[in-house]
Amino acid sequence: MTTLEVKDLHVSIEGKNILKGVNLKMKTGEIHAIMGPNGTGKSTLSEAIMGHPAYQVTQGEVLLDGVNILDKPVDERARAGLFLAMQYPAEIPGVTNAEFIRGAINARRPEDDPMSIRAFLKELDKTMSVLDMTEEMAERYLNEGFSGGEKKRNEILQMMMIKPKFAILDEIDSGLDIDALKVVSRGVNKMRGPEFGSLIITHYQRLLNYIVPDVVHVMMGGRIVKQGGPELAKRLEDEGYAGLRDELGLDIKLVDEEA
Amino acid sequence: MTVETKDYLEIKEYAQKVGEPDWFTALRLKALEALPQLTLPSFEKIKYQRWPIQLKGALKQRHSKPELLQQLSLKDAAHLVVQLGQETVTTKGLDLFEEQGVIICDWQTALREHPTLVKKYFMKKAIKVDEDLLTAQHVAYLTSGLFVYIPKNTVLKDPLTSYFVQDATEKQDYVHHVIIVAEENSEFSYLENLTTLGQTETTANIIVEVIAGTNSHVKFASVDRLGRNTTTYLNRRGHLGTNAKIDWSMGMMNDGNIVGDFDSDLVGDGSHSEVKVVAISTGNQVQGIDTRVTNSGKHTIGHILQHGVILSRSTLTFNGIGHIIKGAKGADAQQESRVLMLSTKAKGDANPILLIDDNDVTAGHAASVGRVNQEQLYYLMSRGLPKKIAERLVIRGFLGPVLAEIPSQLIREQLKVTIERKLVDGQKDE
Repeated sequence: MTTLEVKDLHVSIEGKNILKGVNLKMKTGEIHAIMGPNGTGKSTLSEAIMGHPAYQVTQGEVLLDGVNILDKPVDERARAGLFLAMQYPAEIPGVTNAEFIRGAINARRPEDDPMSIRAFLKELDKTMSVLDMTEEMAERYLNEGFSGGEKKRNEILQMMMIKPKFAILDEIDSGLDIDALKVVSRGVNKMRGPEFGSLIITHYQRLLNYIVPDVVHVMMGGRIVKQGGPELAKRLEDEGYAGLRDELGLDIKLVDEEA
Repeated sequence: MTVETKDYLEIKEYAQKVGEPDWFTALRLKALEALPQLTLPSFEKIKYQRWPIQLKGALKQRHSKPELLQQLSLKDAAHLVVQLGQETVTTKGLDLFEEQGVIICDWQTALREHPTLVKKYFMKKAIKVDEDLLTAQHVAYLTSGLFVYIPKNTVLKDPLTSYFVQDATEKQDYVHHVIIVAEENSEFSYLENLTTLGQTETTANIIVEVIAGTNSHVKFASVDRLGRNTTTYLNRRGHLGTNAKIDWSMGMMNDGNIVGDFDSDLVGDGSHSEVKVVAISTGNQVQGIDTRVTNSGKHTIGHILQHGVILSRSTLTFNGIGHIIKGAKGADAQQESRVLMLSTKAKGDANPILLIDDNDVTAGHAASVGRVNQEQLYYLMSRGLPKKIAERLVIRGFLGPVLAEIPSQLIREQLKVTIERKLVDGQKDE
């Protein structure tokens, strides 16, 4: 079992404070969801954990099995077991999807013991069929010219191949139709098990019908303001974020709220 | 008389020793006499004039030790010429070409056995002896080379591969000349590899002339890996007849300072030159690449595509010159030069130059100098790839559009391997 703990995390971007003390703890074997209105810092949390250079941590820690990872470069965090399925994956021309994924797997193995091409292709085929991806996707350049839905599937494909300890899924449901949403959920559910934990960031409860979380966190104004079980997500769907905010007596303006 | 007697004597002595025909020695002396009136060629934004790029004389016959070649792992090829220093070490599979009337021989043999052809083409059509100081020095001190002649209507499907290994284990200039003559309706494919053995500070002056006759098609590819302490003037020039085509694919993977002057003269109507260059600069080196296509004939097509990457404190300059001469109706000149810098100390330049003297033409250019996309790097690293590997993948993506355009799969693969090796070495200096 591995633990991931975010402690009093403050993060700013271009001098603007976005996260104002986030606390969160999870273990492998668990799926947590973070919900919250737009502009509340959900993506900032995921990028800060992964180590995007534009996000500055001004206070706090992120501990993987008790070890602070914030002084580690992005690639070391990844090899330590973190994975971020991004909202806007970069396009890399000239590098095929298959060779990239194989490179990522081999980066986690000793140099003299790379995964054989045969074993790799077998697993890639199997995983791609779970995600209803066509074979040619393996030989296309990484994310180049992929549709929004293809990019999301490709993020999940990488996750399944790399097998991280913790996967943060940043709005993996945005821009997906219901069929694609089911496919992506199938992939995540397949990963469920004692060696895998996931932090799912979403606006909508819909995704959580397919991937049922153990814990739901609600984020507003750069903090986690409430925790609960899957029923919390359902309540938010019915009542909206404003209702919860008012109940908690928070003085936060929601971005999408009419003035 | 401005030429010193010492040079005369040296040239005469050398000519005697190698059994050079008198007419060629006379040409050398003529070039020598022209030197005082000539100046160094100038290239936009490439400052090389203070480099030790001029040949200092001392024309001498030298024998290199063939066992030196064991230090290199030369890739085998079906049709092969290997030269070390001034001499040919190995040839392979040339008989199949020669049966069809093709001539492939080293420089001294060409002078002795094919004087009529050499007289006709050597620095007559593509380049002139007294064009500038470097071309004249080239003639005066030339010691090695290759002569290739493809007769009319001869189509060679298999490529000829050459390795020209500069011997820098001791101090000696490397002055090398290649002539490729493709006669009417012929087809020829060629892969040239320039490389260096040894670390002595030396000067190289290399000229390649490709004379493409009517309806001929020449595919010229090169992988250049001259050494760190070799200062090089490399001039490759094509002269194209009616409906002739040359595909140039050049990988500038040298480690030392170099001026690359790559030109195509589209003389015949309907002639077509495609120039692809990929270049990587590393360490402290300076690579200046001046690529020109001149459209003289009607309906000629000149396309330049060059992408380069700069690491450490090195410099890379791309000039792209599209020159359309008055009367070249229907000509097309297009060019794209892009440079990617990996470090803040790298210096890069991409200069598009269009000189258009006719109205009835199409022309366009694109140029950019940029840095590595941080989002791409972050994305790759977020999957666990170390920064240097991630950088190499981004670079490969950047060079990809040029590589994809190179007609031969074999050369694409070979270039990929060379690029990877040059990058890995270059990153050690970061």
